[in-house]
Amino acid sequence: MKRYSDLEFLRLSKGQKFLYKLIAFFASIPRAVANFFIGIGRFFKKLGVGIATELADVVSTFAKGDWKTKLSYVVMGFGSIARGQVLRGLLFLIFELVFIFYMVTSGGYWMSMLPSLGKIGPHEEYNAILDTHYPVYGDNSFKILLYGVLTIFFIIAFIYTWRLNVKQNKIAQEYEKAGRKLKSGADDLRSLVDEQFYKTLLALPLLGIVIFTVMPIVFMILVAFTNYDGAHNGYSNQLFTWVGLENFRTMFSWDVGGVNYSATFGEVLTWTLIWAFFATFTNYFLGIFVAMMINKKGIKLKKMWRTILILTIAIPQFISLLYVSRMFSINGLVNGALQALHITSTPIDFWGTPKLARIMVIVINIWIGIPYLMLIATGILMNIPADLYESTRIDGANAWQQFSKITLPYMLFITGPYLLTSFTGNMNNFNVIYLLTGGKPTNIAASGAAGSVGYTDLLITWLFKITTGSDTKYYLASVVGIMVFVVVSVITLIVYGLLPSVKNEEDFQ
Amino acid sequence: MASVKLTKVKKVYDNKVVAVHDFDLDIKDKEFVVFVGPSGCGKSTTLRMIAGLEDISDGTVEIDGVVVNDLQPKDRGIAMVFQNYALYPHMTVYDNIAFSLRLQKVPEDVIYEKVTNAAEILGITDYLLRKPRALSGGQRQRVAIGRAMVRDSKVFLMDEPLSNLDAKLRNQMRAEIILLRQKLDTTFIYVTHDQTEAMTLGDRIVIMKDGYIMQVGTPTEVFEMPKNLFVAEFIGAPKMNIMTTELVKEGGKYYVTPFGSKIVVDGEKGEMLAKAGAESGEILLGVRPEHIVLSKTKENAIRCTLEVNEMMGSELHLHVFTEDGTRLIVRIPTIDLTPEDRASLVRGKELYISFEGKVMHFFDKETQKNLLVPQD
Amino acid sequence: MNETIEKRHMGLRASRALSNTIIYILLIIMSVIWLIPFVCIVLQSFRCESTWQVGYVIPQQWGFDNYVRLWQTNFPRWYLNTFIIALVVAALQTIIVLCMSYTLSRFRFRARAGLMRFMLILGMFPGMLAMIILYRVLDDLGLTGNNSLPGLILVYVASSGMGYYVSKGFFDTISKSLDEAARIDGATRAQVLTKIILPLSKPIVIYTILTGFMGPWGDFVFARYVSQLKPLGMNVAVGLQSWLATDTMTFNNYTLFCAGGVVVALPVALLFMFLQKYYVEGVTGGAVKG
Repeated sequence: MKRYSDLEFLRLSKGQKFLYKLIAFFASIPRAVANFFIGIGRFFKKLGVGIATELADVVSTFAKGDWKTKLSYVVMGFGSIARGQVLRGLLFLIFELVFIFYMVTSGGYWMSMLPSLGKIGPHEEYNAILDTHYPVYGDNSFKILLYGVLTIFFIIAFIYTWRLNVKQNKIAQEYEKAGRKLKSGADDLRSLVDEQFYKTLLALPLLGIVIFTVMPIVFMILVAFTNYDGAHNGYSNQLFTWVGLENFRTMFSWDVGGVNYSATFGEVLTWTLIWAFFATFTNYFLGIFVAMMINKKGIKLKKMWRTILILTIAIPQFISLLYVSRMFSINGLVNGALQALHITSTPIDFWGTPKLARIMVIVINIWIGIPYLMLIATGILMNIPADLYESTRIDGANAWQQFSKITLPYMLFITGPYLLTSFTGNMNNFNVIYLLTGGKPTNIAASGAAGSVGYTDLLITWLFKITTGSDTKYYLASVVGIMVFVVVSVITLIVYGLLPSVKNEEDFQ
Repeated sequence: MASVKLTKVKKVYDNKVVAVHDFDLDIKDKEFVVFVGPSGCGKSTTLRMIAGLEDISDGTVEIDGVVVNDLQPKDRGIAMVFQNYALYPHMTVYDNIAFSLRLQKVPEDVIYEKVTNAAEILGITDYLLRKPRALSGGQRQRVAIGRAMVRDSKVFLMDEPLSNLDAKLRNQMRAEIILLRQKLDTTFIYVTHDQTEAMTLGDRIVIMKDGYIMQVGTPTEVFEMPKNLFVAEFIGAPKMNIMTTELVKEGGKYYVTPFGSKIVVDGEKGEMLAKAGAESGEILLGVRPEHIVLSKTKENAIRCTLEVNEMMGSELHLHVFTEDGTRLIVRIPTIDLTPEDRASLVRGKELYISFEGKVMHFFDKETQKNLLVPQD
Repeated sequence: MNETIEKRHMGLRASRALSNTIIYILLIIMSVIWLIPFVCIVLQSFRCESTWQVGYVIPQQWGFDNYVRLWQTNFPRWYLNTFIIALVVAALQTIIVLCMSYTLSRFRFRARAGLMRFMLILGMFPGMLAMIILYRVLDDLGLTGNNSLPGLILVYVASSGMGYYVSKGFFDTISKSLDEAARIDGATRAQVLTKIILPLSKPIVIYTILTGFMGPWGDFVFARYVSQLKPLGMNVAVGLQSWLATDTMTFNNYTLFCAGGVVVALPVALLFMFLQKYYVEGVTGGAVKG
C-alpha cells in the first residue's frame, strides 16, 4: 500500500481519502494484534527480570546482613523487634506463626490433595451390628479445589510478606549505619492516616475484590480443566478430577456424541457480536439524534421530554422488560390491539421465529437504551464550544454539515472509550435477553449441547443456562466464561490501540 | 525566621526525566529570593520540593539547619500561596484563613484575633463571610496570602501568585507584596516567570533554565553582569540585542566591528577585557535597547532601516534591521525627540545608530558565557 | 430587492417552523411509546375481572383486588428483603467506592497503574462465572435460600471497589492544589479527605448512593442464584418473575405482577426523579472520562 504523509493525504479526493483510511485501518489491525502479543512477551520478560532482581537482592541482603538480619530470614520480624520497631516485628512474627499453624493443621492436607482432587469418593459401608449398608462420604473435591486455591493465595502472601521482612531489615540496617532514626510503631500508625493513608483506604476494597472476584475467577478457570458438573459434584455423588484440555477439545470439536459444540459456540458467538454491534450503535446514534432534537433551539418543554424518556432508567429494568415481553406475546396487548384494529387477523408470534425475535430484542433494547445516550449526548453537546458552530456557520455550513463535521467527530472522539465499554457491556447484557426472551426460540439443531441453546441466547445467558437447571455442566460454563474473556479482551486491546482518544490519564486532569 | 539550604537537590520523575539538576543554594534568614525562568525550567518543582509536595530524588533540603527531606509539608514550618489560589470553595473566607489554626486546635478567640488581624492588613475584612466564589481575582489572592500569613511560618513560599491576575492588578499586588514583606519580616521564596516581578521583588534572583541554575545574584548583578547569554536575554525588556561580530585587539586596545563599523571599547570594559585576557576573534556582542542611540553622523555608525515604530508613551521602541538583515531594537525616550523627528520615523526610513563601549556585553560564541564574568 | 430578502426571511422562518413541527411530532410519538407500557401496567393492575393476561388494556371491572392480594403473598417479605439489601448496599458500597476512587485519584503509589490495569482485566471476566463458587461457599455458610439476605449483601458489596471509574473521574476534576494547600495548612491525608474533598463531592456521593440503592431492586441473576427460588429469600425481581414464569399453570398471577411492579417502581422511580440532577452529572461525567 502506498503511504501518504499527513500533508500529501490532503490532496486526495473524498472517495480516495475514505478508501485510504479504510485500508489503513485494516492494515493497522495486524500491527495492533502483533503489539498485543509483543506486550504479553514484554510483560513476562519484565516479570522474569523482576523476580531475578528480587532474588539477587535477597541473597545480597543476607550476605551483607548482620546477625539480626540473618536471623530474620528464619524468624520473621526478629530484626525489627531487635532494632526497636516492635509493632512491625510482632506483626511479621504473628503472621509467620499463623501461616505455619495453618499449613500444619490444614494447608498441607489441601495442597497434598490438590493434584488428585480427592481419592475416596462416597461409598457404602457395611455396619455389622445393624446389618445395613449406610453411605459414607469421603473426600470433597470442591473443598479441596477451593481451599487449595486459598492455600496457594496464602503461600504467595507469605512469600511476599517474607520478602517485605527482608527488605525491612535491609533498610533498617542502612538507617542504622547512616545514624538515622527508625520509625517507631506510633509513627507507623500515624502514617496510616497520612502519607500511607492509601493503604488504609485500599485495604477493605481490595480484600473484597480478592476474596469475591479474584479467587472465584481463579477457581473457575481451574474448573475448566476438571469434569465438575451435576453428576460429579465432588461430594455427595461422585468426585471430580482433572481432565486436562478435554473440555476445550469438546467445545471446539465438530462431533461429541452426536453434538456439534463448535458449531453451537460459533452460532452463539456470532449472534452475540451482531447483537452487541446493533445494540451499541443503534442506541448511540439514535440517542444523539434524540438529544439534538430536544436541545434544538426553539423546542419547548425540554425538561418534560427528558423526564418522560428517562422513565426507562428510573423504573427497574426487570419490571419494564418482563412487562414489555408479555405485551408482545401471542395473547398480549400488542396482538390484542392489532386484531382489534383489524390490522392482522391472526396473532403475530413475535418471540416465535428467530429473525423476528432477534429484531424485537434489538428494538426493545433501543427503548431501554436511548435515554442513557440522550443524557450523555446532552452533556457533551453542551460542552462543544459554541464558537465552533458560529465559525462554521460563517463558513457557510448547513445543518447536516455542522453535524457531520463538528458534532459527530467531537462526540466520537470524546466517547470512544465509552463506546468500547458499552460494546463489551452489551456482549454481557444478561438482563435484556434473559428477561425478554429467556434465549428463546429454542435452537433445535443445537439443542443437544448443554443448556438448550436458543436463537437469542448470548454467550452469557448460555453460560447461565448451563449452570442452572437439571443438567448442569460447570466445566463447560467455565470454558464459555473463559472464551467470553478472551473475546472481550482481544476486542478491547485491539480497539484501544486504534482509538484516537485514549489519552494519557494525567492529560485529563 | 529561618534559613533554607539546598544541597545538590535533584528531581527525577518516574519517566526518567530530570527536572532539576544538582541545585545548590543558601537562603539567608529573612531574605527574599525569587526563582525565575521560562516554563519547564524546574523553578516550581524546586519550590514544591522545599514545600514537601514533591519527593526529593537526591540531595538535602534544610530549613533552619534541620534536614526536612522526610518531613510532611505540615511539619516543615512553611506557608505557601498557590498560583490558582487553592481556596477551599466550600468555606467562607474566614474559615479558609482559620483552617490551619483549627487543625492545630488553637482556641477560637485566638483564631478570631489572628484572622481579623490578617484581614485588616490585607483589606479584606468586609469579605470575611463570603465564599471564595463571590470574590474577584485580586481579593482571592489576598485571601490566599492571608491564609498563609496566620500560620506564623518560618518560610513563606509563593508559586506564581500573580500570574492569574490582569496586568493592572498585578502591578498593584506586586507593590503590596513588598509592603507585606516588610510587615511579616520572614524568609520568602517566590517563583515567577516574569522578570519584572523578579527584579522588583527579589533581594536575590535565581535564574533557571532546563533544571540548571544559570545565575544567582542581586537584581543589579544579573542585569549589569549577566553570567551568560541566556541571563542577558532573559532579564530586561525589550530583550538585549545580540550581534555576531569580531573582537579585535590592536595595540593594547580592543575594538568591535559590528556591521562594518569599528567601535573602540574604552574605559572600564576595555580594562576588564584586558584583565580577562581576551583575544581577537568572533564573539557575540550584546547591547541593551536603551543603550543604543540614534547617531547624528554617518561616521562610525551602523546604517539600518526602520521597520516598525512602537509608540509606548514615554518611550519609542524602534524595530530596525541592518544591511545584513539582523534585527535590532532601539529604545528612545520620547522626550529626546522633537515632534518633527518623531513624525519622520516611519517605515522604511534610513537611520544611523551607535553605542558606546561601556554598555557592551561580550559573550563567547561557543559557550555563550560572558567573557567578563568569572565562571565557576 | 427588499422583497426577496423578505421572502427569504419568510422562507427561513417557515422552514424552521416546519422542522420544529416535525420534531414536536417525533417527540410526541416517542413519548407515547415510552409511556404506553407504564400506563398499561398501571391500568392492568387495577383489573379485577380476570388475573390472566388479556388483549385489552382498559379493565372492565376496576378495583384494588390485586393490591390487596399482594399482601397475602410473600410479596411484603420480598419487598422488605430488597429494601434492606438496598439500604445496606447503598451505604457500604458508597464507602468502598469512595475509598477506592479517592485513592486512585489522589495517591501516586508504586502499584497504582498495575492495580488499575489488573482491575480492568478482571472486569472482562463475566461476573456470573464467580457465582457458582460463591453460591457453594455461601451455601456452606448457610447464607442461601431463605437466609439469602446477608449473602446477597456480601456479594453485592464485596467487589464494588471495581466500579470506581465514575467517582474517580469526578475527583480528578477537583484541583490537586486544594489537597496541597490543606496539607501545608497542617491536614493529614485523612483530614484532606474528610474536610476538603468530601464536602466538595456531594454530587458524586449522592450519585453513588443512588446507584447503590437502585441496583439491588433490579438485580435478577445473583438474587435468583443465591435465593434458589426459596419463598422467603427472594428479592422483588426474582419473586415477581417467578409469578410470570408460572403463567401457564393453573395458578395465574399476571395482574398480580402488574400490581407488584407498580408498588416496586413507584418509590424507586420517584426517588430517581427527585435526584435526577445528580444521576445525570454522574453518567455524563463517567462517559466523558471513559
